[in-house]
Amino acid sequence: MRSALHLCNFEKLASGSTFAGVIINRINYLISYNMLSKRSLVGVRLNFHTLAVLFFMLIGTQAFAADPAVVNSDEAIAAGKAVFNANCKTCHKLDQKMIGPALRGASERQPIEIVKAFIKNSQAVIASGNSYYNDLYKEYNNTIMISHEFLSDEDLNNLLSYIEYGDTVDPAAAAATTGADGGAVAAGGGIPNEYLTVILGVLVVVLLLILVVLGLIISVLTKYLTKQDLDVEDKEFVTQKTNLGKVFKSDMFVVIVTALVVALVAKTALDGLYSVGIQQGYAPEQPIAYSHALHAGTLEIECQYCHTGVEIGKSANIPSANICMNCHTHVQNVQGKEGVSPEIQKIYDAVDNNQPIEWVRVHNLPDLAYFNHSQHVVVGEVECQTCHGPIQEMEVVGQHSALTMGWCIDCHRQTEITTEGNAYYDKLVQLHTDSKDALKVKDIGGLECAKCHY
Amino acid sequence: MKIAKTLSILGIAVAGITLASCRAGGENQGLEFAPQMYHSVAYEPLTQITDSETKGEIISNREDGKGEYFNSNINNPHNMNMREPVANTVPRTKNGYLPYRYKAFEIEEAGTTLKNPIELNDEVLTEGKRLYQLYCTPCHGTGGQGDGKVGAIIGGVANLTGGAYITLSEGHIYHVITKGKGRMGAHGSQITPENRWKIVHYVKQELQGGQNADNAATTAEVVEEVEADQEVTQVETPAN
Repeated sequence: MRSALHLCNFEKLASGSTFAGVIINRINYLISYNMLSKRSLVGVRLNFHTLAVLFFMLIGTQAFAADPAVVNSDEAIAAGKAVFNANCKTCHKLDQKMIGPALRGASERQPIEIVKAFIKNSQAVIASGNSYYNDLYKEYNNTIMISHEFLSDEDLNNLLSYIEYGDTVDPAAAAATTGADGGAVAAGGGIPNEYLTVILGVLVVVLLLILVVLGLIISVLTKYLTKQDLDVEDKEFVTQKTNLGKVFKSDMFVVIVTALVVALVAKTALDGLYSVGIQQGYAPEQPIAYSHALHAGTLEIECQYCHTGVEIGKSANIPSANICMNCHTHVQNVQGKEGVSPEIQKIYDAVDNNQPIEWVRVHNLPDLAYFNHSQHVVVGEVECQTCHGPIQEMEVVGQHSALTMGWCIDCHRQTEITTEGNAYYDKLVQLHTDSKDALKVKDIGGLECAKCHY
Repeated sequence: MKIAKTLSILGIAVAGITLASCRAGGENQGLEFAPQMYHSVAYEPLTQITDSETKGEIISNREDGKGEYFNSNINNPHNMNMREPVANTVPRTKNGYLPYRYKAFEIEEAGTTLKNPIELNDEVLTEGKRLYQLYCTPCHGTGGQGDGKVGAIIGGVANLTGGAYITLSEGHIYHVITKGKGRMGAHGSQITPENRWKIVHYVKQELQGGQNADNAATTAEVVEEVEADQEVTQVETPAN
């Protein structure tokens, strides 16, 4: 029956082109031949499928010699996609190598029962000595695929359906969508900064040109007027020169200039004196060009992931290289570039040689003042950015705040205390009920000298 | 007269500019007031001044003849001020946790023997969630589906809600956090044991819907028993 059905289709197609017609004639011949040799060891069905594949390849359609259990139906593919997304997608893609191989065609490369056994318990199949999977295991550096014993046979069939027939990507269409996306981004970006600078530059040039032109017009007009017969008064007016020397010597000018200079010098001197002992803005180059903008900003890694001391101790801690290696064992370059980045190589060198990375200290309080991170971060629930500024935007970390006593005290005067649900504050709240203001850090000893200086 | 006037104006200007350059910025740390307070005399864990030549501008009468601010421990490797604990030192926490003895490959044993010693309650779950978001979300994502931003780069991140992981024991999860597994690094140095167990509670209860959880071990009696049991096994297993 199946053969007959296909024959009809072939005949329909055959009317299209003589070339196809020739092939179809050949296939018809082969099919009839196969029908005759039904009892051969090869079997009709396999041969027919092989031919069908050949035929479909010739007319430009893809087909797979898949197991009949792996059906190409929307339902099976949708169910398989759910299984794939829940269990496979972090290591596998359909058409691309990732942690593991590209999956499409998996049920062609090995008998379907072995594929299913491998998905369920990969180590058992490898131990059984299957050469294909042993080679694959070696190719992927002996990375063990976890077992999925819980998947039912139906799940596996659906999964394989998705792997074979799901989400086929037409390269031309993919290119077109990315192209369209790119265009949209460029259009929606507004005026870039560089253009603004260019526009300003052009405006300045235009203004200068206008000035030159005006100057030329004045000189031409003056020349013309001096040649005319004019009254004495007018003549005087035309020929008069601006006397700059006179302006410079006038009392008014001297007083204004002196006052300005004195004010400026006094301001610089005072600012300079106030900046003694303040390291605000200090942003030294570090031994590794580590970017907080990338790690804390783009990748949204929390500060505490690396600065482990911040909730339990006085110091926030600079992470040791083993914390870097949690990710950088695998991430060897930025933005998926090939090779090892020279900056990341420095971590590897430090780890290999057991050599400390000598980061340059940015924030340094003098010994006369005591500061404790855990007190502020855990108890006070102060955000890191309150004192350290927009760290998640800094390529090179600099000292954002002044870290002067005035700066500390300001915050202690303004910050209210969250007392609800904390029995520690009950007595303090009771003592404070007379005051109109809310309970602030200053009211519980935030201004006492000995809290920080001892 | 005129020269004197010019000189005095110049002098003021120079003084102003010099003072302005005291300001910190970029590589310049700025002028320090009382520099001996900024360069600690006592050893500080995260600071190390290795320069033994430069004499300070103010006082330099050190007995050892080193530079005024020299502050490194010459007896330590790399002259560091921090030092690894003496071999076989046993750190003790206020909860009495002993060091974790299982080696990275002893995942089966850890998975079957370890029980969560932290009593499960809402407070623990909230804290567990906070800690999970600090230490786990970069890779495993907020919902535990292995879709974190860093996870996308590293690849091969476990979907904690997936069938292969949902039935794992709490001890198994604790072991993987502590020692790492597959592409995941060991987080034992970053997260305290209590916090690791809190994360385990959160993962088990909230992300995995309580499947195969140690809830039975939450009564005080059993917890005590487990703790005693742990101590015994920990004493018996060799130190790593």
